Amino acid sequence: MTLRLNPASGTPLYVQLVERLKHSIATGAIKAGEQLPSVRKMAEDLLINPNTVIRAYRDLEGEGIVELRHGSGVFVQQSVEARADVMRKAEPIMRSALDRLESLDLTEDDVRRLMENELALRRDAQRRKRRA
Amino acid sequence: MPEPVIAVDHLSRSFGDKQALSDVSLAVTPGCVFGLVGENGAGKSTLIKHLLGLWRPQTGTVRLFGLDPVADPVAVLGRIGYLSEEPDLPGWMQVWELLRYTQAFYPKWDTTYAERLREQFGLDPNARIKTLSKGQRARLGLIAAEAHRPELLILDEPSSGLDPIVRRDILEAIIRTVTDQGRTVIFSSHLLDEVERVSDHLAMLHRGALRFCAPLDDIKARHRRIVLHFERPQQDPPNVSGAIRVAGTGREWTVICDAGKIHPAAMARHLGAAVVDDTTASLDEIFVAHASN
Repeated sequence: MTLRLNPASGTPLYVQLVERLKHSIATGAIKAGEQLPSVRKMAEDLLINPNTVIRAYRDLEGEGIVELRHGSGVFVQQSVEARADVMRKAEPIMRSALDRLESLDLTEDDVRRLMENELALRRDAQRRKRRA
Repeated sequence: MPEPVIAVDHLSRSFGDKQALSDVSLAVTPGCVFGLVGENGAGKSTLIKHLLGLWRPQTGTVRLFGLDPVADPVAVLGRIGYLSEEPDLPGWMQVWELLRYTQAFYPKWDTTYAERLREQFGLDPNARIKTLSKGQRARLGLIAAEAHRPELLILDEPSSGLDPIVRRDILEAIIRTVTDQGRTVIFSSHLLDEVERVSDHLAMLHRGALRFCAPLDDIKARHRRIVLHFERPQQDPPNVSGAIRVAGTGREWTVICDAGKIHPAAMARHLGAAVVDDTTASLDEIFVAHASN
C-alpha cells in the first residue's frame, strides 16, 4: 500500500491514515472482507508509531468499517458496500469541476466555501420537501 | 502504572562554568518511543551519557530498570543497546569479527537475527570497518545494538548526516523494537519529521533545562500558531504576555503560544489587531519558539 503521511500537516497522523484507508475501502482498492495489514506491518511500512496505527484501526472499528478479530487481525466488514463503481464515476466529475473553478482563479478556501454553501442549500431544500 | 525503564530525578551537572544539565527530571515508561530534541549543546548527549553511567550525577539520581548505572554498570549495560552518531568501531576489524566480539558481551544475542540484518543491510562480512561508508558503519552499529533485542535501545542522533535509506533502516529498527514485546526506545534527534512520526513522548532540552516533557499528542494540542494583522506597522514585537515566541515585521506578526494560556480573540482585541490565522503549530515551529527563549 503506498500511502504517504505528512507529520507536519495540521491533521494528526492517525486521522490522515483513517481518511486514506476509508478512501481505499470506498473505491474498492481494499475489498469488503479483506484483511488489513497487521499493526506492526503497517507501522513498519509507513514508518510511524504503532500506537498511531492502533488508534486509526480503533476509529475505523468505531465507525463500523472494520472488525478487530482477536488473534486473527483486522478485517474490513463484509457489510461495507464497496461503492467502487460510483466512486470511480464521481472522481472525474469532481476533477473536471475543480479544474474549471481553478481556471476562475479561486482559492481552495473559496472552493470549499462554495461547496459547503451548495450542500447546505440542498439540505434545506430537502427538508422543505419533506415537510411539504 | 508500570515501573519506569528510565527514571531521572532532579539531575544537574556542570562542567566548569557551563551548566550542562539543570534540574532535569523525566520518566520513560516501558514500551514507548521517547524522543529527545534540542539544539546542539542543549544537553542531550550529556543526559544520555548519564544514562549509560559514563557520568555520575552531581545532584539528583539516574535509575535504569531501577538500578544505578554508575554503581551497577554490568547489570544495566547488559540490558541496553546503544548507538551513537559516528559509532566508534575499530577500523581494523572485519564486520564478522565485530559482531562476534559484541556477541560475547550479550547472552541474549540472536545470531540468526544478526545474520538476517547483516544480509538485509548488504554488509560484506569480510569487509574491514575502515572501508565501510558512513551509512554502512551506522548499519553495523545498529546490528551491534539491536541483535540481542535489548529491553532499552538508546540512540544518540543516530541519523545525523545519513542518507534517507539508512535513516529508514533506523526508523524501522525503532518501530520493530517497540512492537516487539514492548521494548523501549529513547532517541535524540535533530530531524523533527522523524521524531514526529515515531515518538509517543517528547522532551525538549534547552540550555540544559527541560522545556517540555509530555506525550507528543499533548504537545501538539497545547501549542497554537496565531497570526495577527495590525492596521499600523509595528516597530517592535507586540507584547503578548504568556506567548512563547512572537516574530514578524510591520503589519503581520506570528505568535506561538500555549493554547491553554491565551485566548486569541481577546489577545488580538487587547493589541488592536485582527486574528488572520489560528492553527496548530508544527513541531518545527514549537521547537524554534522554545529554542529562541
